[in-house]
Amino acid sequence: MENRKSKYIFIVLTVLCVMMIVLSSVKDGLMNPIRNTIGYVLVPLQSGVNRVGYGLYEELQDHRNLKAVQEENKRLNEQIDLLTEENNRLAQNEGELSRLRDLYALDQDYLQYEKVAARVIAKDSENWFQVFRIDKGSQDGIRVDQNVMANGGLVGIVTDVGLNYATVRSIIDDESRVSAMCLQSSSTCIVAGDLTLYQQGRLRITDMQKNATIQDGDRIVTSNISSKFMPGILVGYAVDIQDDEKKLMKTGYLIPAADFDDLTEVLVLKDVKSDSFLDTNEGQDVLMKNLTETTVAEESSAADEATTAADGQSIASTEASSQWPGMEGLTPLSEITGETSASADSTSEDAG
Amino acid sequence: MNAVTKRKLPKFKPLKRKTKQRLRILFYIASLGLAFLIQTSVFPLIPFLAASPNLLLILTFSFGFLHGSLPGMIYGLGAGLLMDLFYSGPFGFYSLVFVLIGYLNGFFSRFYYEEYITLPMFMCVFNLLIYHIYIYMFRFLIRLKLNLLYYGLHVVLPSIVFSLLVTLVLYRFFFSAHERIER
Repeated sequence: MENRKSKYIFIVLTVLCVMMIVLSSVKDGLMNPIRNTIGYVLVPLQSGVNRVGYGLYEELQDHRNLKAVQEENKRLNEQIDLLTEENNRLAQNEGELSRLRDLYALDQDYLQYEKVAARVIAKDSENWFQVFRIDKGSQDGIRVDQNVMANGGLVGIVTDVGLNYATVRSIIDDESRVSAMCLQSSSTCIVAGDLTLYQQGRLRITDMQKNATIQDGDRIVTSNISSKFMPGILVGYAVDIQDDEKKLMKTGYLIPAADFDDLTEVLVLKDVKSDSFLDTNEGQDVLMKNLTETTVAEESSAADEATTAADGQSIASTEASSQWPGMEGLTPLSEITGETSASADSTSEDAG
Repeated sequence: MNAVTKRKLPKFKPLKRKTKQRLRILFYIASLGLAFLIQTSVFPLIPFLAASPNLLLILTFSFGFLHGSLPGMIYGLGAGLLMDLFYSGPFGFYSLVFVLIGYLNGFFSRFYYEEYITLPMFMCVFNLLIYHIYIYMFRFLIRLKLNLLYYGLHVVLPSIVFSLLVTLVLYRFFFSAHERIER
């Protein structure tokens, strides 16, 4: 009797689970309210447990590390000297570069993105996935598809946001694929996470054109054409680049710039790549208005620019009610021209 | 809390059964939450762990093993829901496998003897295999990742070894806590 009852319940539960899986795969964000509620209770707890655990571990480590740290300090001091020298040289280069950029009007502003710092409070304990959770959520302005960095390198992308937490998928996760390019030659490639390479601290580079010029040690950055990653973020360094005869392309490995072993604090980029595809959304409506005002102020010199920006604003106000995340790649040509003028404006604003 | 309720037990004899029931439920819910917090927020910090033991899975199968199919299933559902609510991805993915494991282990509760540790150890390996094969099939095989040997050696094996070690300790603890509450 008892057995039969539990068998029925088992079948009911199984069917329910399968239904939920199907439903939530079809309709994204269905479970978000419940996830949010649970997150509201669990995240402070996780934060606390994490902090206590980390505090204890730090304390232990402190004693052990003192000697090592002293040695490292000596080494680092030497390194500082080297780096200062290098910095001087680079500063000169930077000056030269900015001049050249101005010449070419290449105002990409690499790596000047606004960032929010967040703390890693939980990780997937299974080795199957490289997913972690941070203690900032939608109330701190975190959105899905925001890029996450640490140690000056790309770490991952926000896949899921709750009120006070967000889930981040690392680039070393097996499902992760980043559209990247070689900094020296701008030839594009795909950086894919691979579970079998994870313990060697490597990622896979694929889909690089056969005639691309790339060498071991070249810097790989996120590419301009990526739909989810902001351009110009350092991903890592290329190693073991080889020709793949069968597939007529080059493949190789990448050593990531970020250290994934002790990831405790990360930086979340405030911009999302899909924002730059369209200028006509609620978020940038205000920005637009400001821009028009500034352009009106400088009206005499750039009269036609002001009119295009004003056009942009009118489009913004008419379409303010429409949802923007679904509109990727659907931007009409007129809006794109509006966007280029907007970016030109923003640079002029930066300068002023 | 524990001590307070115990002292009260003799005074309110009619309430005894109810209090026991409540205490038991409270204990199981607390164990579930605590295991989840430790598993996600403490274990990943420890660098020398090649894989963290899956506490939730261990608790689920121990529970199913001690109490039978139906309670095991409910406990599994709780554990699975926690995992599902915590991670993004299709909702119900973890619930399904935890319910399955709770249910299956209920059948073995008739072979349950006190202080008999060999069967739980064997069950631990068996359950972890189910769990990992489930994840592999639905998250990796469908993307045609076929490097079975590597996954077996580097993901499944460490996980099983560490979970076995924890089972040795945790099962005893869980068992004695269970005994104490029953008494």
